[in-house]
Amino acid sequence: MILRISWLLARPGRAGLATILLPIVAFATVTALLLIVLGGAQEFWTFPLEEDGIIYQLSAVLALTLLVVPLSNLAAAASRLSARRRDDRLATLRLLGATPSTVTAITVIESTVLAVLGAVAGVVLYLASVPAVGLIPFRGEALGAESVLLPALAILGVVGGVAVLATVSAVLGLRRVIISPLGVRMRVDVPRPHWIRAIIAIVVVATTYVVMGAIGAVELAMIMTVLAVGFGGTLLVLNLVGPWVLKVIARRQARRAATAHRLLAARGILESPRAAWAQVSGVAMTSFMAVFAGTAVGLAQVFGVDEQTEMLFTDIRTGVIITVVASFLIVACSVGVNQAASILDRKDLSVSLSRLGMDVATMESSRRLQIMGPLRVTTIGSAVIAGIVVFPLTGAALLFAPLTLLAIAVVLAAGIGLVQLGLVATRPILERVATPA
Amino acid sequence: MATAILEASGLTKTFGTTIALGGVDLTVDAGESLAIMGASGSGKTTLLHVAAGITAPDAGRVVFHGPSGAVDVTGLGERDRTRLRREQFGFVFQSGLLIPELTAVENVALALMLTGASRAESERRGADWLAALGLAGLEERRIGQLSGGQAQRVAIARAQVTGASVIFADEPTGALDSRTSAEVMDALLQSTTGQGRTLIVVTHDAEVAARCSRTVHMRDGRVAAEVDA
Repeated sequence: MILRISWLLARPGRAGLATILLPIVAFATVTALLLIVLGGAQEFWTFPLEEDGIIYQLSAVLALTLLVVPLSNLAAAASRLSARRRDDRLATLRLLGATPSTVTAITVIESTVLAVLGAVAGVVLYLASVPAVGLIPFRGEALGAESVLLPALAILGVVGGVAVLATVSAVLGLRRVIISPLGVRMRVDVPRPHWIRAIIAIVVVATTYVVMGAIGAVELAMIMTVLAVGFGGTLLVLNLVGPWVLKVIARRQARRAATAHRLLAARGILESPRAAWAQVSGVAMTSFMAVFAGTAVGLAQVFGVDEQTEMLFTDIRTGVIITVVASFLIVACSVGVNQAASILDRKDLSVSLSRLGMDVATMESSRRLQIMGPLRVTTIGSAVIAGIVVFPLTGAALLFAPLTLLAIAVVLAAGIGLVQLGLVATRPILERVATPA
Repeated sequence: MATAILEASGLTKTFGTTIALGGVDLTVDAGESLAIMGASGSGKTTLLHVAAGITAPDAGRVVFHGPSGAVDVTGLGERDRTRLRREQFGFVFQSGLLIPELTAVENVALALMLTGASRAESERRGADWLAALGLAGLEERRIGQLSGGQAQRVAIARAQVTGASVIFADEPTGALDSRTSAEVMDALLQSTTGQGRTLIVVTHDAEVAARCSRTVHMRDGRVAAEVDA
């Protein structure tokens, strides 16, 4: 019955093609990036352990772990968009007597189907990019296309994994949406971040700093473990403190806002600092890692090391750049999808504001500030925290390898630009919704 | 003798094969309250949207006699129509459509801020309007913390704060009980025609229409009858 209804509803809704394409593009990006990273990483498992192989493998696992959080955020956002784009039909189904679980099942099925379509497109994208990815050098030579190409079973596994991720994220994401016979709306009982998060953050950052200072005499693999623990702890802190910091900044901006779009943006963040953070939190982790690893590698190369270590550091730098680019790409997709869902959520309000005389440019400015403000705070804030955690290294890097820090800044700035593109991609949806006929 | 503030002539508008307006002529005088009634699909909301410059008609003309002279609303581009709505017209919708994350006074002030007024001045005038509509002390409340009637009065304050010459209201009491509906209509009439401004209300409610100085009945996209109070 559920499958029959899902098929019946599988026609484009009034919200237009963009709301179908955005989740598909999002899942295509997710799949392609996962396959590329896995394809590149599979070669690492052929490296002998005694020749730093363990470091390559740990780094690959770390990079994949970093990508999991933004990937699941993106999948959840895509699922919410599926629900929003169907709001009229789903509400009608409820009105006709369908139970909440039936409607949820239909939405989850739709989301999974879109995810599979996106994943298939992602496989095509991956296969097309294999020759280019094969040119990326590791251990002094190009990986080669045949090394990057995953076995068919692994590709199928990734497609299946993305479908499962989409299904689970849809179920979790839909907990934030109420589908009633009168319409679809977001739950408003969002918990407020508390100042205690700031205290937890300070304690963990200080502890991590002490641990980092004490790792000089430990085995290399052990160092990686300690780094991972410290790294994970600090990332946990970023997630704890992030929403609270955004709330404090937005409250100050709301007090001082002199124009309509600034006031709307600040109040929009204050409405749910946790949601504002969730949208950009993936960047927090990569920004932190970029400074953390980039600084260390840059300095090590300046001071000179043996040839094998030099190669290792070069490869870590390559891995860092790939992970940062991938992470920003995912966040850009996530912002695009989230914004499309948000525009549809507030469709009636946008129409009324347009009738009142608020032009689309003002709405767009407010939206831009509401996304790019937290993104800048998150990117710069995480980079600064990473700088504090490895302060002796960043201090030395400022003196001896300023170009490394500059390169990190350029990569992060490019990432911010990429996210802005994700935001711009949703402007046609806003224009279509808000502009009078 | 009454002066026309809005003159519509020969308005037509179709959506696909549906004729929403089939040649409507209408003159609205300054300071009057006009109710537009009719069954669903009769074209009353389309008429309001075309008269307010929200929607462009397929044919016909709307002229607004504003403070700076006559303006051909139908001849304006989207940008100029947006500015006209922002500066000269006010709107009250059925469900208020206020911004939930802003406070009551910020919702009102926003309309003024969009015209370039400073935040302090906008909030001061917004607070004055809220007080005039019986909402003193509720300025810092969020919309979710207000009753339906209070929220609708915030929407009325938002429509008035810019000093709009004409207030367009689309089913302003549609979501309210009869007592609150009467209170909201009191507030709307006092703050518009009571101050020499013009009010145009689309409504299904005969009691709301009865409180206006004139009622226009729409049927199949045409004005079927006009009744003076």
